[in-house]
Amino acid sequence: MEDLVGVTARTLYISTTATLLAALWGIPIAYTIAWKRLHTLAAVFEALVGVPTVLIGLLLYLLLSKQGPLGGLNLLYTPTAIIIGEAILVTPLIVGASHRILKVSIDTYGELAASLGSSRIQAMTLALAESLPGLASSTAMAFSRAVGELGVALLVGGNLRGYTRTLSTSIALEVSMGEYGDAIKLGAVLLSLSLGFSIIARLLGDRVDRG
Amino acid sequence: MIEARSVWLRYTPNSGWVLRGASLRLAPGSIVALMGPNGSGKTSMLKVLAGLIKPGRGEVLYNGLNIWDMDDARRLEARRTAVYVAEKPVMVRGTVMDNLLLGLRLRGIDPQLAEKRVEWVVESLGLDSILDMNARSLSAGQAQIVSIARALVLGPKYLLLDEPFPHLDRARRRLLAGLLEELRSEGVAIAIAGHEEAYTLRLSDSIAWIESGIVTMQEPDSVLI
Repeated sequence: MEDLVGVTARTLYISTTATLLAALWGIPIAYTIAWKRLHTLAAVFEALVGVPTVLIGLLLYLLLSKQGPLGGLNLLYTPTAIIIGEAILVTPLIVGASHRILKVSIDTYGELAASLGSSRIQAMTLALAESLPGLASSTAMAFSRAVGELGVALLVGGNLRGYTRTLSTSIALEVSMGEYGDAIKLGAVLLSLSLGFSIIARLLGDRVDRG
Repeated sequence: MIEARSVWLRYTPNSGWVLRGASLRLAPGSIVALMGPNGSGKTSMLKVLAGLIKPGRGEVLYNGLNIWDMDDARRLEARRTAVYVAEKPVMVRGTVMDNLLLGLRLRGIDPQLAEKRVEWVVESLGLDSILDMNARSLSAGQAQIVSIARALVLGPKYLLLDEPFPHLDRARRRLLAGLLEELRSEGVAIAIAGHEEAYTLRLSDSIAWIESGIVTMQEPDSVLI
């Protein structure tokens, strides 16, 4: 089995970067959908949450392979490819969850700000500020999804030792070799990361929410 | 003076009309009670008067000018003369004081410039003891009075209160009623939406009865009888 610390650090790096990227574009998309009340677009993102990860991995593989339209970028079997795939994977999750939070916040705090004589920009800012704990929770939820993701990591990462191997692909490899003990050990680390982040995000969110 | 004239309102193109040709005028130094059954359009009428919702038809006049014909900057300036206080108070994160100063902050006013006004509101509504409390841990009645205080800090010419009395205890009701009378004597126009609470009836100079989105004016005595 590859060095546990190395695999864990790589997994954290890939999942965190992918989640932050997805949040970077996902939250503004969610805000626009909520502010402009684009219900159909919201429904599309909600539906995309269920797309199988292996399908996203396959599409990305076809795009990034030598014969694919983006083959010239030489990203296949690199950590960057996994980051892009995981970011695409968790974007609908972040948009869907953030949209629900922002919609309530815009209705509640947007109206409060307007009733106190704020401009539209100030009302939008207040609604966003009051949503931060919820947005952090939705981002943590996306991280939990990204950190344990297998389909994308395997197809576009290639499970290369010391380079693109993550906790989930390591588990798959150990199981295929019949090393169930190592697989369980890796699974425990993965579960701790996933649950740990969600719990910390939730506790921080509650604390901020209470003021 | 602000006036809603022949206002029609519905929230979505396929829903029914909430306001159907409703008219209401708020004159300086007067209190109007807006009464009617649940779902009759009281809250919608207050929001229309406050310039928070654009009606489908009709006019909302601030000193004779339709605010929906104004550009954004002028409409904002006009809207800032009126403050709407919701029935269900919403508190932002922070202390009661943070919430009291929220409107000033949103308007870009230095709270120190409004210090005397803040002190007067705090003293008048007996808020001294809860200023440092977490605003989200307040009781319903406390939150209601803080949300009214938050509006008063802004010194509005038009105060639009949506069911302000039901959650308040007797002492707070008395304090609020006294303060509203004081504001009226200073020339503030006040609309109070509610049911037939004794305080609302006692304070009001006129009563607007709203039912199925239609407003009819009545004398206070006719409701009391």
